[in-house]
Amino acid sequence: MIPWAKRAAAVLSGIFLMALLFPVGSYWGGVAGGVLNLAFAMAGKFPPFLRRFLPSFALGINTVLSAYGVIAGGPAVWAVPIAVLSLFSWNADWFGQRWSDAPRPVRSRYLKRIGSLAAMGLGAGLSALAFQGRFSLPFLGALLLMLTAGALCLGLMSRASKNLR
Amino acid sequence: MTGAWSLVAALALLLVLGGLVLRNGALLAMALPYLLFSLQPFWQNRPRPDWKTKRELEPDSLMGGQPCAIKVELANRGEDLEEVFLTDLLPPDVKVEGNTEYHGPLMAGRVETLSYTVRGVRGKYEFEGVSVTIGDLLGLRREEEILPCSGTLSVIPAADHLERMKISPRRTRVFTGMIRSRESGAGVEFFGTRGYVPGDPLRHLNWKAGARWDLLITNLFEQERIADVGIILDARSIMEIKIDEDSLFEHSVRAAASLAQYFLGEGNRVALLIYGNYIEWTYPGYGKQQRARIMAALAGAELGEHAVFKEFGSLPTRLFPAESQVVLISPLRGEDVVPLRYLRGLGYRVLIVSPDPLSFEKRLLPQDGFRELAESIARMEREATLAKLRRSGAQVVDWDVTGPLWLALKSGAPERRR
Repeated sequence: MIPWAKRAAAVLSGIFLMALLFPVGSYWGGVAGGVLNLAFAMAGKFPPFLRRFLPSFALGINTVLSAYGVIAGGPAVWAVPIAVLSLFSWNADWFGQRWSDAPRPVRSRYLKRIGSLAAMGLGAGLSALAFQGRFSLPFLGALLLMLTAGALCLGLMSRASKNLR
Repeated sequence: MTGAWSLVAALALLLVLGGLVLRNGALLAMALPYLLFSLQPFWQNRPRPDWKTKRELEPDSLMGGQPCAIKVELANRGEDLEEVFLTDLLPPDVKVEGNTEYHGPLMAGRVETLSYTVRGVRGKYEFEGVSVTIGDLLGLRREEEILPCSGTLSVIPAADHLERMKISPRRTRVFTGMIRSRESGAGVEFFGTRGYVPGDPLRHLNWKAGARWDLLITNLFEQERIADVGIILDARSIMEIKIDEDSLFEHSVRAAASLAQYFLGEGNRVALLIYGNYIEWTYPGYGKQQRARIMAALAGAELGEHAVFKEFGSLPTRLFPAESQVVLISPLRGEDVVPLRYLRGLGYRVLIVSPDPLSFEKRLLPQDGFRELAESIARMEREATLAKLRRSGAQVVDWDVTGPLWLALKSGAPERRR
């Protein structure tokens, strides 16, 4: 389940990257990002040294390319899913490398945790974009997203402060 | 925190900085997922484990090469742990069979057991503890600690069983043993004859000699007694040759253990001198306690390269009783001939067991045309050294360590009589 989720996330982030970069005329950047994410999705049989560094490399390149796309004036709405999917695929791969034979309860707990984190990141990023007017979301929808993400963030921050004490 | 966390946090900071510098809100929005990921370890509850450890070694004292079963139990009496790496910290130079690690969850109240087998060569092996790494499922946080869980494994050198070997020191002790004393008395070996004296047992009368000389002649028998045996182990580091795991010194130690066990088993008084870094002397003694003392000394024997002990000239001969048996275990060098001749000149019976460094080292030599020539030159040098020692009256056993010691002793140390 986790490897397939990772592959799907990598392929999707490659497609979204192309969708972000093609409108600003950066075809080579889009193609390079797409190929890199495709390679990352199929990295299971790569040599160990490549296998070890490819996830971090893909995360870094995805971030740089999507930041470039946003700065160049591309549709910023794709940048947030790219960030979330890149983080998801990178972390899922790291989990798989670390713990390939994890028991089923551990795997489902992991998916729940990273899924909630990804959903929160997506919600926070998209609501922030909607409030900036870069994303044509009705005001009520943006407000709901914002409030949900904000409440979650506040809750998490208070928990963090308790942990730090 | 882990390297993975550092990567996400660095990307989050870069995006935030980029967004602020370029006044680009979209970059700041894009930074939010990264920020959430990097803050995750802070809001996740940090589990507080309470460990209880226990280590069992069965047995905790054994001979080299024998297996020791180790069981390490770690009980989590604290909170649930999602991901734990447990690694038993092993002393160097032990061979392990089994799993010394665990990776998985460890819930509160559960006990995880690491069971495996180790084999040591020789010496004391100290087990310090268990390395515990607690992490979260996302791999962003990691805390490592060493739990003390000590244990000591004593490995005494393995001793081979030796067949009957005859030594003949000039002086023996008063107690009955297995070594011929060159004195007549109670014994089984024929020693000589003399005229009958009233009180001699009649069954010792030599009737044939009596008939020839027309006298009453009685047989004499040689007394068998115990003797002082001093074992010298050459621990000079210049004599060591190590090929991968195999060490010539370890063969010497094994030979010393075998000889000590044999001589003690025969009832002799045995002492041990380890000659290397300093003079490590085990006082002469008898029996099982002495065997344990000698084995403990051999278990801790180490190579040394002290300038004073570079040659056998500094051998403390006064430690050994006069005219006793000295057994030297050394690969030998040409320079060792003179001091060993001196030892022989002092009246000691000298038995030299020399592990052959040439046959041991042969596998290291490259396969080329010069190998045979080099080997034959080295062989001639060694033969010359051994011949000089034999001429001085020492018994020399040239031991190819690929074969058993008893065989070398049987073929190389014939019985010698004065």
